[in-house]
This record gives sequence, structure tokens and C-alpha cells, in this order.
Amino acid sequence: MSWRNRTAASSASGRRRGAGPSTRRRMVVVVGVLSLASLGLVARAFDLQVVRKQFYQDQGDARFLRVMPIAVSRGTIFDRNGEPLAVSTPMMSIWANPAEVLENDDRIPALAKSLGVDAAELKDRLAQRADREFVYLRRQMPPEAAQAVLDLGIPGVNSQREYRRYYPSGEVTAHVLGFTNIDDHGQEGLELAYDDWLAGKPGAKRVIRDRMGHVVEDVEQVREPKPGKNLTLSIDRRIQFLAYNELKNALVQFEAESGSVVILDAKTGEVLAMANLPTYNPNAVRGSVPSQRRNRAMTDLLEPGSTIKPILMTAALSSGKFTPTSPLIDTGGGHWFFQGHDIHDTHNWGVLTPTGVITKSSNVGAAHIAMQLDTPLMYDTYRAFGFGNSTNSGFPGESAGLLRVGRDWRPLEKAIMGYGYGLNVTPLQLANAYATLADGGVMHTPTFIKGADSEPKAIVTPQIAAQVVKMMETVTAPGGTATTAQIANYIVAGKTGTAHKASAGGYSKNNYTAAFAGMVPASDPRLVGVVIIDDPKKRSYYGGMVSGPVFARVMEGALRLLDVPPDNIGRWYAGGPLQSPNGLVGNKPPDDMSVDNEPIEDATP
Amino acid sequence: MFGFGTSQAVKRQGPRGSFDLPLLVALVGLASIGVVMVASSSIAVADSQHIGAFYYLKKHVFYLGMGLVLAGMAMRTELKLFEKHAFLLLLAAFILLLAVFVPHLGMRINGARRWLNLIALSFQPVEAVKLILVVYMASYLVRHRESIETRFLGLIKPLIVAGGIVGLLLLQPDFGSAMLVIAVTIAMVWLGGARPVFLFLMGLPLMPALVIAATSESYRMKRLTSFMDPWKDPFNDGFQLTQSLMAIGRGEWTGVGLGSSVLKLSYLPEAHTDFILAVIGEELGLAGILLVVGLFALAVGRGLYLGLKGVEVGQRFAGYVAFGLSLMLGLQAMVSIGVNLGALPTKGLTLPLISSGGSSVLLTCAMAGVLLRATFEINRALDARHMATRMPALAVPDANAAVAPREREAVAA
Repeated sequence: MSWRNRTAASSASGRRRGAGPSTRRRMVVVVGVLSLASLGLVARAFDLQVVRKQFYQDQGDARFLRVMPIAVSRGTIFDRNGEPLAVSTPMMSIWANPAEVLENDDRIPALAKSLGVDAAELKDRLAQRADREFVYLRRQMPPEAAQAVLDLGIPGVNSQREYRRYYPSGEVTAHVLGFTNIDDHGQEGLELAYDDWLAGKPGAKRVIRDRMGHVVEDVEQVREPKPGKNLTLSIDRRIQFLAYNELKNALVQFEAESGSVVILDAKTGEVLAMANLPTYNPNAVRGSVPSQRRNRAMTDLLEPGSTIKPILMTAALSSGKFTPTSPLIDTGGGHWFFQGHDIHDTHNWGVLTPTGVITKSSNVGAAHIAMQLDTPLMYDTYRAFGFGNSTNSGFPGESAGLLRVGRDWRPLEKAIMGYGYGLNVTPLQLANAYATLADGGVMHTPTFIKGADSEPKAIVTPQIAAQVVKMMETVTAPGGTATTAQIANYIVAGKTGTAHKASAGGYSKNNYTAAFAGMVPASDPRLVGVVIIDDPKKRSYYGGMVSGPVFARVMEGALRLLDVPPDNIGRWYAGGPLQSPNGLVGNKPPDDMSVDNEPIEDATP
Repeated sequence: MFGFGTSQAVKRQGPRGSFDLPLLVALVGLASIGVVMVASSSIAVADSQHIGAFYYLKKHVFYLGMGLVLAGMAMRTELKLFEKHAFLLLLAAFILLLAVFVPHLGMRINGARRWLNLIALSFQPVEAVKLILVVYMASYLVRHRESIETRFLGLIKPLIVAGGIVGLLLLQPDFGSAMLVIAVTIAMVWLGGARPVFLFLMGLPLMPALVIAATSESYRMKRLTSFMDPWKDPFNDGFQLTQSLMAIGRGEWTGVGLGSSVLKLSYLPEAHTDFILAVIGEELGLAGILLVVGLFALAVGRGLYLGLKGVEVGQRFAGYVAFGLSLMLGLQAMVSIGVNLGALPTKGLTLPLISSGGSSVLLTCAMAGVLLRATFEINRALDARHMATRMPALAVPDANAAVAPREREAVAA
């Protein structure tokens, strides 16, 4: 086999004999050069891949490693019965790499069509941003529509998952829930208040991107995504709907400007319903104006008017100078000229018991009671019932109201304060004050969260609270100012209020706030409600006529929904002691159409 | 079909040739790696161009199939046929090279006229020219052995031929191929027995020519210098190389895993052609590079070894062809690897048998076929020699039927 064995047959001249070894020697040179070069290359590869790899890897990482957020869904907001009030739905945002899209600009019309935009406009937009790598074409498209766009297969068009908030109950719960912005952060209402809880923490992942910006590989999770936590509200969607509907009807009926309804659970301070009008559609916030978006029940201030009288009465009973039946108060013919000011009632009620002052809503009586009370006691009672303080409900933009410090009160102010002028409260504060009376003088912090643990505070003794509630029952009884607020088979305790609206430089003569605050069933109050209707222009403006029926209708439904047993079953029997005007006996009009107190023209001394 | 693998005992009838098994294994191995790596690296490229993920793979496999047919034909063709028509082939080579400059026929891509437009497919004449040059040089070396070994003038003719080819290549311009042609020519003349002094003299005028060629156009000058420090301008001149280095650096010992290369994703240009080694380096690591280099070394080593044997048993043409083709394969591989590793200036050279690229794949296969044919004939001659020593009476007349005329021819030349 050896090729060295040269045979005689093939060997020729000496010259040729030398050819073999000569070629071999030369081959050694060639092989040597090649081997050296190969070794050099291998050494170079070793140098790149083992010795100095870090530098090249760092350079590479700088080019294609990116940290990307991992979108998390926002927590769902449920009502107290587990009905969803705000849900996050996955949406697709379409984005593009302009340069890549412009390369195939013949596809732009198709793209524009599927996006629902003008082709020329789209092209202009892309051309303007041609030096960027990322441009949103359309945010938050429904997934099917987005898929249709992606199915066009246009190079450079990509999608990105996002979440959009959807509010199934729309404008009904709009004010309580608020809304989120396009980046899924709460902007108003509870969405804002509990943003941290709901939003969760978007995770972060390190990804490898190709040069076109497409993610090709997830390398590692930098931060774990924490999806938003769910929130169960104290709101009862059914009662909320009820309140909203009745409020809306009343606004139409009385051509009122705006209105609020607040329903609290008397035992816990939970907000069961809070409806405001005008409202907006939280699913399309863009079309609304700020005045529509205000949660009037918490941000707007009003003078409580006569609805303050039960609180005054609480102070009066606490002072020991008054009991529900004594002393008798002479309302002096319906007018009391006090310090040059005419405090007057709608009628001349003659001599009234303290209960009568509540029943008939006598301003003169209330002023007399106020003047007999120690200012600190009266101030402290008002303050204790939460006026002038935020309720700490945690709702963004909640107003604290205004209650001036008692030692600054001048006598006239004090008298006026007795029937609800000269201080500002929010509807929620008013509801909370009534809830305190309803729950035996124990105040709870109003809350929107189901089962929230608030620290109850005893404000007044249960006896006094019970007495005041008892006095308020007469308001809806025949002869009271709010027989329209009666509910069949339930005793309603409440108080009307009709206040002149404050306007620039005084009080407006013909603009009123019609209010009704009350609780049911009065024998063991479960629900507290406040109905405020602002500036009713047609038919009536008295709290008893405008807000009372709203209260009655909402509460009637709420009591039924909550299975609250009736406490006034006597009305089932014909000729029972408290026959409802619209109750079981028939639909004869109320025989007692008493009118509410005519508010004073000018309360500012 | 092939001359090996038959375990059956058959009666010997004349000298038997056989294809060199290690060489075949190396070549097939390289081509197989090529298919896998082209698949891996071209999917992203094809995808980004929106022409279907397997566009380049299909193309590669198609050309490889054609190449196999071509190689099969070459493996069954007696080398003397090439030897006889070496001059005609050379003429064809020049025609092909000139055709590039004919309007409509030649195509200008990226500022270089390297392609012939053959309606359906484009063809790079230089690939055929490489093969033809080797065949011509081998035949010349066989024919003019004496003059080459003794006179400087004997070198003039191959010098003119090679110079002409180099000149035409530089006109395209195709600097990488020109270098390759020069290197292979010199190596073949050297192995053909030219005296070192002559070679030096021959190289002398080449040096300034090369320098002028390299410096004549600014882009080439930039390319020449940018590889020294690609990080100076990583977004323009150093772009390709820095991407390639990052890919290779990511590979470490065993790579990031087949298919997991990141830089092939639109970062590294020509990932499936010129810079396929970078993808191999990234996905298979140093192990992959060593495997590729090892297979090339095996192929080139076997080619040179058998060529040497061929020359020594008098199969000079087959031997020189084996030399030339092995060197052509090996040097091109080295240059391509060197470019990928940033050890050589960036040139448009593919990694033979591995890179995708129509005419390159086709003609590399043809070269491999001719190389294998050369080993076949050398082995046949060795077998004849063997038989002659063992049983001269029986074998000799029969065995030399194929070999002897060539011997005489060689002597006559």
C-alpha cells in the first residue's frame, strides 16, 4: 500500500524520481501554512467565544434585550351581592413600526379601512413618525376587530394587549365608581380611591426583540405581575337602580336642576346606594362635562334647612331642658322678629310641643329652642354628628362641609343655625347624621366597602336617639309635613327640608333645595336615606312634596329587596291607626296636605 | 454505485477505483450541516421579507439537489475528458466572465456585476471559473512540467491566464474571489514544482496591483480597515462584523442551542449566506465551529493527501486537480470563517457547502464531485500498482489500460 514503494515499472529518470519527495516537501509547506492559519482561526474563535465573550454578550444584550411591562387586569368591582359593577375586558391596541408599514404603502388603504380611519391621514401620520419604531395606530380595539387588522398580514403592524374598563351599570353607578384613563388608572371615584388595590402591579419581563421590534423570546421575569385585586362594594345594585330611577323621574317631574340620593345601612354605615343626576356614561367619558361627573352627594354643599332640626332636638333633649312633650313653645303667630330679623313659619302653628316643632317644622320653634341651648352644647352636638368634618369615607374629593366654631356664633346666627342655615353639609353627612340617630346614637363611618370595619362612636344616648326618632315619626304621620313619604306597613321617621339656595350676595328668592332625610322601619331602623332635589321649578318645591315621595318609593322597594319585616302591620286592617294615603285602602289623595316651612328670605345676619 | 461498502467477495477484474471515504464523509457532513444551518438561519430572514418561512431552505435544497446531480455526473466522468478540453473550458470561463459586463445579461447587485441573468435564475460565473481555473492549471502543470520546474518563462502562461481572470474579477469587482484565485494559482504552481525564486518574481508585480486594487475604491479601503476595529463605527462600516462578533460571542462553548440564535433575527445581515458561520457559532458554540473547521480540515487533508499520492504514482492531472480543488475549498472556507470571526476584512465569500446561494452551492457540489472523481482515479491507479506488484502477470496489461496512456502523454508533454 505504501506509495513509497516505487516499482521499477513506473520509475523513469532521476529527475522524475525526485518529483515525489519534492512535491512532498512542498506539500509540507502548504499544509503547514494551512494548519497555522486554521489554528489561528480556532484560536480566534476561542478568544471570541470563551475569553472575551462577556464584552460581545454585553454588546448584544444592549441591542436586543428590553424590559417590557406585562399588562395585568384591573380587579373587578362587585356590588354587595357579587354583581359586577366594573370589569376589565382585554382589548388589543394596534401599533406599528412606521418605516416597515410605509415600505408596503399599497396596503395602507386596506389597513386604514380595517382600522376605521382615513387612508391619507394614516399615511401622513406614519410618514411624520417614520423615524420612530413605535406608533399606536389605534388603542383598545375589540379583540375581534384587532384580529381582523392583524389578519391582513401587513408587515410592521402589531398588537399589544391592554385592558379596558367596562361598567355594566353605566351611568347608574358612574359617580360612585368613577372611571379610569386609557392607561387603566383610576381618575375619579372609587376607581381612584382604591387604585392601588385595584390596579395591581404590572410585571416586567426581559425579552429579546428582533430588529423590527417584535418580541421573540421571554428571557426572564424581572418582576412578577400582580393582577389587581377585586373589590366588593357595599352598594346594592338593585337599590342603586331604584334610587337612580326614582330620582330621575322626580327630576323630570319637577324639572329640577340636579339631585342626589344616598341610602345608608343604619347598622353599619355602609352606603347601599348613592345616585346623582345629572350623570354621565363612564364607558364613554369623553362626551361628558365636569359638572356631570361630580359626585354631588359628596362634593356639593347645601344648607340642610329644616333637616337639621332633629339634630337640634337631640341637643335640646341632651341638655335636659327639653323633653319630647315639654316645655310648650309659643311660636308667636308664625313670626319672630329677632334682632331685626323676621323668622317665620308657613302657618301660625300656635303653641307647639318640641315634637310639634319637628312635626310642623316650625322655624320659630326651632329658633326658640336654639336660643335656650348653651352654644357649646349645640355646637358640639352638631360637630359630633359630623357636620363640618369629612366623613372619612375615603372618597376622593369629598367635601368637609362648613360649620363655624361655636364661640363665634352671634345670637342671630345661633337662632338661624337652629333651622339649618349658616352651615353647609353634604348629602352624605346628612345621611350619616340620621344614621347615627337611627342606630341608637352610634355613629359609623360611612363606607363603600362591604364589611369594612369602622369604629363605631356613641354620640348620644340610645334613649335620646330613640326619642328623636319617635318625634320624627310624626313627620310622616297625618298632620306632619311629609305624609307623602309614608310607606305601607312601615313606619317612616324623617324630616323634610326646603331651603333657599344660596346665591351670590344672599339667598335666591325662588330657587330651593328640596330635601328629605329619613329612616325605615322607624321602630328598628335598617335603612337611612337622604333625597336632595335641587332647584325644582315646576309643581312644587317643598321637601315633603318633591323629595318625600322619592324617598318613599325607593325605600319601599329597598325594604322589599332586603326582606325587612314590616313594623306597622296595623295598616293592613281597614281603619288602622295610620292609614296610608296611597296604601291598601285605596288611592284617595292624602287628606292632610300640609306644607313645609317657608324658609326665611335672608338668613345672613 | 460507489466503489466502497461492498463486503461481497468478487473476483477481481482489473484495477478498481474507489472514492475516498473520509473525504466523502467530510463533504456530506458539511453539506448536511449546511442544510440544517440554512434552515435555521434563513427562516427569520425569509420571514422578515414576507416570502414564506421556508423560501430560502427550499431554494437551498433545490440547488443542493441539482448540485448532487452535477456531482454525480462529475464523479462518473473520466478526468481525461476535462484534461482534453481544458483550454475550451478556459475559453468558456472567460466568456462567462465577460458576459457579466454585457447589458441585460449581466446583473448589477449592490454595485457589483457578479451575476448573469438566466431568466429563471441568476448565475455567478466566478463559481464555475474557480473550477475551470483549477482544471486548466492542472492540465498546464502536467503538460509543461519541465519548463515550469526550470524556466521562469514557463510560468508566464498560467500567470497571464490567472492574471486575466483576476483582472476580470476585480472589474466586477469581486475582491474576495480574486484573492482566492491568486492564492490557489500560486499554491498550485508551487506544488507543481516551480522554483521559489520564480514564484517570488511572479508575486512581485502582484503586490502593488493588490494594494492599488484594495485602495482604489474607498468602500474597499474602508472594508479593509474597518475589520480591525469594528466597534469604532458599529452602525455603518462595522455593522455586519459587530453583529457577527456578537453572535459568535454569545455562543460560548456549546452555543445557545439550535434555532435559538437571536442575531439572525434581522440583526445580522446575510445570516444564511456569507455570515452563516456566525449563526453556527452562536447556536452551536465553539464546538460547532470546531466541527466545521474539523470537517474542512479532513476534506482538505484527504484531498491533498490523495493528490500527493496521485502525483507520486503518476496520476499527475488527477493529483493537481485534487490539490487545486482541496485548496480552493479550504482557502475559501478559511477566508469565510476568518471574515466571520473578524480576522479578515469583510468579503462577499460564502462558506462552501454550507452557505445558501444558488450558483455557489451548485458549483461547489460540482467541485466536490470532481474532487471525488480525482480520488477515485488515484485509488484506481494505486490499485493497479498494487496488483502489478502482487501479481504482475495477471494485472499489468489490464490495469494500465486506463492509466498507461496518460503516463505516456505526461512523458511526452
